[in-house]
Amino acid sequence: MKKIRTKHNRIFLDEFKILFILLFLLLAIGLVGQISANNGELFGTSVQNHILRIFSGILILYAVYSCNLRIFYSYAYVFYAVTLLALVIVEVLGVIRLGAQRWINFGLFTMQPSEPMKISLILALARYYSLLTPLEITELKKHYIPICLTLIPTLFVLKQPDLGSAALLFGTGFGVIFLAGFPKKIFATAIGAGIAALPFGWFFLHDYQKNRILTFLDPDRDPCGIGYHVLQSKIAIGSGGLWGKGFLCSTQSKLDFLPEKNTDFIFTTISEEFGFVGGCVIILLFIGLVGYFFWVSMKEKSTFSRLLCGGLAILLFLHTFVNIAMVMGILPVVGIPLPFLSYGGSSMLTFMVSCGLIMSALANKKI
Amino acid sequence: MLDNNNDSKSNFRKTAKTVFYITAVLFVALICKLFVLQVIESQKYATLSDKNRIRVYPIVQRRGRIISADGKVLARNRQRYRLSIESCKEEEFRKDLSLIASQISIPNDEIQKFLDIRKKTPRYTPIIVKDELSWDEYSKIAMIFYKLSHISLENSFTREYLNPIEFGHIIGYTSRSKDYLRFLSGETGIEAFLDEQLVGIPGNMKIEINSVGKKMRVIDSVAPVNGEDVTITINAEIQKYVYDELSKEKAGACVVLDITDGSVVALCSVPGFDTNPMSSKISKKQWTDLQNDPLKPLMNRAINGVYPPGSVFKIVTVLAALDKKIISPKDTIFCSGGVVVDGHTFHCWKRHGHGKVNAYDALRFSCDCYIFEVARRLGINTIVEYAQKLGFGEKTGIEIPNESSGLLPSKRWKLLRYGSSWKPYETIITAIGQGALLTTLIQSATMMGKIYSNNYAFRPSLVKKTRENIEKLLKNPINSENIGVIKEALYQVCNAGGTASASCHTEYGISGKTGSSQVRRLKEGEAGMSQNAFPWHLRDHAFFVGCAPYKEPKYVVAVMVEHGGSGSAKAAPIARRIFDKLILGDKTKENESNVDNEIKSRKK
Repeated sequence: MKKIRTKHNRIFLDEFKILFILLFLLLAIGLVGQISANNGELFGTSVQNHILRIFSGILILYAVYSCNLRIFYSYAYVFYAVTLLALVIVEVLGVIRLGAQRWINFGLFTMQPSEPMKISLILALARYYSLLTPLEITELKKHYIPICLTLIPTLFVLKQPDLGSAALLFGTGFGVIFLAGFPKKIFATAIGAGIAALPFGWFFLHDYQKNRILTFLDPDRDPCGIGYHVLQSKIAIGSGGLWGKGFLCSTQSKLDFLPEKNTDFIFTTISEEFGFVGGCVIILLFIGLVGYFFWVSMKEKSTFSRLLCGGLAILLFLHTFVNIAMVMGILPVVGIPLPFLSYGGSSMLTFMVSCGLIMSALANKKI
Repeated sequence: MLDNNNDSKSNFRKTAKTVFYITAVLFVALICKLFVLQVIESQKYATLSDKNRIRVYPIVQRRGRIISADGKVLARNRQRYRLSIESCKEEEFRKDLSLIASQISIPNDEIQKFLDIRKKTPRYTPIIVKDELSWDEYSKIAMIFYKLSHISLENSFTREYLNPIEFGHIIGYTSRSKDYLRFLSGETGIEAFLDEQLVGIPGNMKIEINSVGKKMRVIDSVAPVNGEDVTITINAEIQKYVYDELSKEKAGACVVLDITDGSVVALCSVPGFDTNPMSSKISKKQWTDLQNDPLKPLMNRAINGVYPPGSVFKIVTVLAALDKKIISPKDTIFCSGGVVVDGHTFHCWKRHGHGKVNAYDALRFSCDCYIFEVARRLGINTIVEYAQKLGFGEKTGIEIPNESSGLLPSKRWKLLRYGSSWKPYETIITAIGQGALLTTLIQSATMMGKIYSNNYAFRPSLVKKTRENIEKLLKNPINSENIGVIKEALYQVCNAGGTASASCHTEYGISGKTGSSQVRRLKEGEAGMSQNAFPWHLRDHAFFVGCAPYKEPKYVVAVMVEHGGSGSAKAAPIARRIFDKLILGDKTKENESNVDNEIKSRKK
């Protein structure tokens, strides 16, 4: 027993060293960003909550890691069903915040069901594909169920309306389907058809979503309204220069020119103070983390854990990419937080659970 | 679940690798974009960032004062304050507003108006409550300043002129500059001419603001440089005296020069106008009234008004004739009361003639026939040459903008203007200061200055000259013994039974020349009629130019009474009183009565 435990500890340190370093650095940078966004004040501000969330996140990470991956395998469809139900509840009872129904009130805390949905979707898809034989996977009709599993929550989230999360669910879902071995030719054709059909999707968008996209395409269209956020974010990043303005010396963020400076625009806050160097470090850390997730997925022996880890890698990538691209004005502002850095419980929870699952997958393989 | 199919594993590896490479490429694309923003375009965004956060508030500088030679302040600045309240929460706004209203009167409907404005104004944007707070109101607000959290008092200046009517034509006035700094800049007069010295440099304060415009801290401030005070050569006391004397007439002008350094002691144009409203708020009606006034108060008659100089110009003709040896001083010409040139008869002002007239008498009695004859011999070109030497036909360069240069008619001018050739009769009427000839009063005064300072380079100036400049002035002396003849003749005008003897006979000795210039050609039968018989606007302009004292010439006085009738009756007595004031000072009163008695006794 004792032997196993020591072995276990060794694995814990060796195998997870890279993950821990990456995670620690990202959380540390995020904390620095949170302090900046609060003008250097630690207490009585959102920084306190953020620290609290980091620690509770780590506890959840450990809890998920401690669970056997088999549990997640067994309950994959249950998780999916429960989160889908939560989405429906949001639709019916959801608390209206920021003009969109995204939170569900559990009395003590509020929750965005679209966040756990991302993981539940990956679990459900991985579970589904784990039962298919390689031959079956080449059949197109076997993929109908996963496509439905992806589209149903996507449409609910889109209805909330939350364009960003819907796009992420959509992207993650199809990413897993692609990883599972969906026929590549058909996939490419579908992407082409999807791009061609984009203009028709226009009619299903809300006015504010249309506005965001129009402003994204032409930022000068409304420099005081929606374009203002993007413009101010670009000014903040650009004025940071190579080395940045220095810790707590930002002007754009400190003087409130920057909107949502501790949530969606945390990357901007950090880039303004730490410049190109700081921004690069964050992007490189995320490349490392996404790479690590993929590396774990490739090491896995079971289809379930392969697809689970690959799906989580895609989720992490999409979150990071969309957020950074959005604050730099490459993509429209869709309200996607930056994993581990942005202030906010739901996002922190999702990615701590993701890391827990990755560690659990890696550990189960060894045992 | 635990299928260990190597085939599917390697398939997965391939796909996963591809996907990872795609993600890596996309991340690198983000780094590229970041590089563009933070390294390539950094400067542009840094500028935008500063524009965002830094507001530059101007600090208004004080304009220089204008001071007279005798130390009286003619133009100064009154400090004003602009009171504004920042847009803020309604209860705070209401509190500040009611506190202000308790100190300075704000009508109730205005308070409601400000509350309405507040709703439409973004936070921290100032709303102007009162533009020009008086000192009294300012001190009341300052007393409760500590209770007010959202008000600001901004400094500004209003130009204030003391004795604006008497000095208006010299000093001019200012207006708010059109750019955002809104400081005062000179429009006319000394204010415009010496604007560079007077204006100063505005300062500024760089203030960091946040996204809603709340002032966070002062980053940098540059103190304003106040304008320099300017001392002009005008003697305020003389100026006022001259204006009072002149304003007894409907319209006229006067220039007093000190010929020792060319400084202008007084320069008046009647009627004057109040320059104070011009510098702040002048109503449209006030402005159009001024512009449409038939007496044209806005015109500076001493430097912008052009008139035929009349007999004053005979000085030029006589000096030219003597210099060119057309005639010697003692040679006489017989005046029969008129000459016939080109088939027209040109009368001497004295219908029955002066008899034998020499150069002295020609000026003393202002004999037209003598001038007609010498002018005929001189020709227009020589007359124009001497007129130019004595300063006619060009600006004197006095420090007031828009000076007129007058008009010296010549053969060439006639050809260009009318396309016809010069007629001999035009020469002789030009020689007596009539016809197309136009001069300004300051030119006539300058002529006297040139003659009595023996210096062709003499120029009038409103700004105190340094010694060097005075010496430069003395570089072009008049080398003519005939100047003595002119001076002697001009002395006789005032003292030996000449045209101005009735009013200008004094102990200190005035020398001068009267002039009456016709404003139209006389009709048949009008000759010799009293000027008072004509309507005002048809009467002759009355001129007198003179210099005194005789022994040591110091002051030149040139007086013009518009439609005054006769120079000897209207202009000369005014000049006499001004000379008395200049030379005798306070004894003037006494002398005035003497002059009146003298005139009365002579009339008898």
